[in-house]
Amino acid sequence: MPAEVKQEQSPSNQTSLAMMQEPQEMVEETVTIEEDPGTPTSHVSVVTSDDGTTRRTETKVTKMVKTVTTRTVRQVPLGPDGLPLPEGSSPLGSYTDSIDRRYLKSGERYITTPQATSTLTRSYNNYNDSYTDTLPTDAGGSQYGGRHYGLHDGYGIGDVTDNYGSLSRGVNFRPPRYPYAMANSYRTENSYGTLPIRKDDYGHVAQPQVPMGSSSVDLNRSQPERFQPEPYGLEDDHRSLGPEEEEPYDLDPDYSTASRRQGTLPGTNRGRTVREPLRDGPRVRGYEDPIEAELVDERHPYSHGMYAAPLAQPERGSMASLDRLAGRRSPSIDSIRKDPRWRDPDLQEVIAMLGHPIDPVKSNAAAYLQHLCYENDKIKKDVRQLKGIPVLAGLLDHPKAEVHRKACGALRNISYGKDHDNKVAIKNCDGIPALIRLLRKTNDMEVRELITGTLWNLSSYEPLKMVIINHGLQTMTNEVIIPHSGWEYEPNEDSKPRDAEWTTVFKNTSGCLRNVSSDGAEARRRLRECDGLVDALLHALQSAVGKKDMDNKSVENCVCIMRNLSYHVHKEIPGAEKFTDPSAMQAPGSVGPQRKKKDDAGCFGGKKAKEEWFNQGRKNVENDKSYDTLDLPKRTEPTKGFELLYQPEVVRLYLSLLTESQNYNTLEAAAGALQNLSAGQWTWSNYIRATVRKEKGLPILVELLRSDADKVVRAVAIALRNLSIDRRNKDLIGSYAMRDLVSNLPSGQQRPAKNLEEDTVVAILNTIHEIVTDSSENARSLIQAQAIEKLVAINKTSQSPRENKAASHVLQTVWSYKDLRNALTKEGWNKSHFQPTVSGALKAAKNGKPGYDDTTLPLMEKNQGTKKNGSGDMIPMDELGPDGYSTIDQRDKDCKYKSSGDGSVDLTEREPLKNDTNTKHYVRSNRPAVNLVDACDVKPQPVDSWV
Amino acid sequence: MSFIPGQPVTAVVQRIEIRKLQHGEHLILGFSIGGGIDQDPGQNPFSEDKSDKGIYVTRVTPGGPAEVAGLMMGDKVMQVNGWDMTMVTHDQARKRLTKKDEDIVRLLVTRKSLEQAVRHSMM
Repeated sequence: MPAEVKQEQSPSNQTSLAMMQEPQEMVEETVTIEEDPGTPTSHVSVVTSDDGTTRRTETKVTKMVKTVTTRTVRQVPLGPDGLPLPEGSSPLGSYTDSIDRRYLKSGERYITTPQATSTLTRSYNNYNDSYTDTLPTDAGGSQYGGRHYGLHDGYGIGDVTDNYGSLSRGVNFRPPRYPYAMANSYRTENSYGTLPIRKDDYGHVAQPQVPMGSSSVDLNRSQPERFQPEPYGLEDDHRSLGPEEEEPYDLDPDYSTASRRQGTLPGTNRGRTVREPLRDGPRVRGYEDPIEAELVDERHPYSHGMYAAPLAQPERGSMASLDRLAGRRSPSIDSIRKDPRWRDPDLQEVIAMLGHPIDPVKSNAAAYLQHLCYENDKIKKDVRQLKGIPVLAGLLDHPKAEVHRKACGALRNISYGKDHDNKVAIKNCDGIPALIRLLRKTNDMEVRELITGTLWNLSSYEPLKMVIINHGLQTMTNEVIIPHSGWEYEPNEDSKPRDAEWTTVFKNTSGCLRNVSSDGAEARRRLRECDGLVDALLHALQSAVGKKDMDNKSVENCVCIMRNLSYHVHKEIPGAEKFTDPSAMQAPGSVGPQRKKKDDAGCFGGKKAKEEWFNQGRKNVENDKSYDTLDLPKRTEPTKGFELLYQPEVVRLYLSLLTESQNYNTLEAAAGALQNLSAGQWTWSNYIRATVRKEKGLPILVELLRSDADKVVRAVAIALRNLSIDRRNKDLIGSYAMRDLVSNLPSGQQRPAKNLEEDTVVAILNTIHEIVTDSSENARSLIQAQAIEKLVAINKTSQSPRENKAASHVLQTVWSYKDLRNALTKEGWNKSHFQPTVSGALKAAKNGKPGYDDTTLPLMEKNQGTKKNGSGDMIPMDELGPDGYSTIDQRDKDCKYKSSGDGSVDLTEREPLKNDTNTKHYVRSNRPAVNLVDACDVKPQPVDSWV
Repeated sequence: MSFIPGQPVTAVVQRIEIRKLQHGEHLILGFSIGGGIDQDPGQNPFSEDKSDKGIYVTRVTPGGPAEVAGLMMGDKVMQVNGWDMTMVTHDQARKRLTKKDEDIVRLLVTRKSLEQAVRHSMM
């Protein structure tokens, strides 16, 4: 799937946290691009989402501060309390000492609460002292600072970033504890030793247990930088207060698995022995009062010094487990590690912890899983195979916010990526309804972001789309789309209409709907009939236009949904047949098939038609206008629901987007929507085609032919083709768009600067064909645009059979106008140039003419028909839409072609667009583009704009 | 300031760097522009040459980022972040100034009294 590819890309793109957040899994089905909301997990990133960079910076700052603190602590001179320092001279040595000493203390004092308090105080004091003195003096200190920076830098790297993110998350997790970090010299030191980071922090928790100073040192060192999720480290800091008191607590009690394992390790025993004594009291408490412990956490540590120690334990235990896990993450880390006594929980153990009776353990385990899974497909797969996904899904219904939040975060990461099996696994354990339930239940914005992000990820896999629709469509609409769009069922007259809010939740949800909207006719029907969805999306888009805020992802998603829902609207909406007005075929706006055929057969007829048009078009503008106006159906009541999709009013919306947006995907989707709406032969498409003209949309579209974005050019070209079903449009387009169309064609084997894809070239050729069919005047414009040379070159030399076939169709049509042959001959062309190239692929094209009967049929249908018949005679249009979804599918194709780079496309494409806009405006001023407009007055643009 | 189309333009310019201000959801510069090749240059009250279709500063918010940076009403904007503004449409200029991903906008402007401009910018 293309989407998956994109996901993959996202990691690379996401050097920064921000990037991570908006991971894009773009699944492009249909028009839609599916993006993963933010697979990347980090908490921080979530926060950051839009301006990740800035935030990230802030985070770093925070860390810096903390680091300093840590360092200070470290400096606090700890007397070697009976424990020999392995590396006495080194700073680390001191670290060890301190740990040991405290350990002892804690052991001794453990029972007495007052002592604990005192300890805390003491460390706090130390902190202060050392802080001032030490920093300047200590060489180590300076290094320390440097290291932290290094870490931060390291974050730029994908893995690191993740850790970082997780770190932040940890921070958010327990703000109240933060003060502890400062107080705790212990923690600080750990982090210090560890340089690389969080590992140390983690180690801290565990460290108390470690008897040997040396061992602790090693541990710290062993920590690989990449692992470290500083975030965790931060958490440790928070808990650091507890350590002394908590030490007794030990990991073992909480994590039975972890303890067990340790026992087996040679080194572990030592640690244990030391711990044992400490453990007793605290441990018991922890088990007994997990809830109380949590409550305590919420309080300010200082104020509750007494309680802090015991209470903290349970959590602390969880942290400890995390720490260990952390080490596990990369094999390299493990290999680096020299002390066998320390080891992180393996994946199986982490998953086991998800079922731990103590909630903080669950949430920490889930958070750690999220961290581990970030951009690591192997781990995701392992989690799945170890049956971790059902456990996580089960935690979604957990009453504690912390637990279901972390579980959701883990699921989001697991659901992101190419491996559809992970997505299926989530679905198989009823994860989708569980997510939807949680969405209904929670008001926590962060959880909602995670839920909708997960759904977005899941929606990129075809088989899950309908499942998501079945379980979540109305909920997502009611809970997210409608409230965030600003639309109201029954607008209160007193209140101003609200603007849409481009929240992450809205972005994720619209991305999800965008994906599922591509799942075929049934999916489209469900979305169209979903109460309030179309209304809300339109309101959101109108709000975007009003605020001139049209480049963001949410707008893109909304337009893509609209485009998908507009596809085949003339066939699929209930009662569509009523609108298939046979008389419309004879209306001035269109040409009936029979008449057309006649014109085609005799070039004289074509010319006559043309002249007719001149008379009508130029002299009877008034009549035409009244015709258009009159024909618009009168409404007795306000339109709502899916009917809004094809009301002529939407034309202005799409044209505004086409004029203002700089997002290529949005431009493409808006052009695609017009393309869809102008296809088909029903009353509404007639109105749409006329409305585009009356709203001065043709020049807008023509200018976009100059876009640098291949897909935009293609969508616009096809839209112009559909619009030219309207006779007047055809003539206007033929007169004023021909040069732009032709300029997009390659000259023989030489590609133009734009280097358009084959699909685009074929689309343009087909549009040209449509325009010159039945109009010798347009054929003359084509000749004047120097197109014959290019067409002949393509016909003869293009490597693409589709291209030379399409070019050949155009050439044949041109040659069929006998009154033009004179001119052509004068320029040195002869009949042979207009013959199809004889090649296997093109043989069928030779007798193409007879197949033209349906030229007037809606292009879409032609497509389908062609496909079914498989006849090469048909208009090459068939090439565009393999399965009749021409609009939608193109997107898909597009994605496939670009699969390698799509993740970045969104971001990078904007730049080139700027140039494009420039060109556009020059064009506008220099050329009679205005003439494309029916009524010649161009509205004066605003004279004055605030910026 | 007049010019001959196709010929290089010579003008004394001042560089003005404006840091956008977060205003609600939007980044604002705190001034308004008029003019552009799609506008009627005859209505521009600031231009000497009434055929000048350049972009002019028509209003400056008191205390806003633009004023702080030294931009003045009547200034003609020559460039925005290196992009030419002497031959653009009104809307193009607006877009160029309101890029959401740019926090800082560097303008090259020219005004009738350069001395005044210099004095102002030094204040």
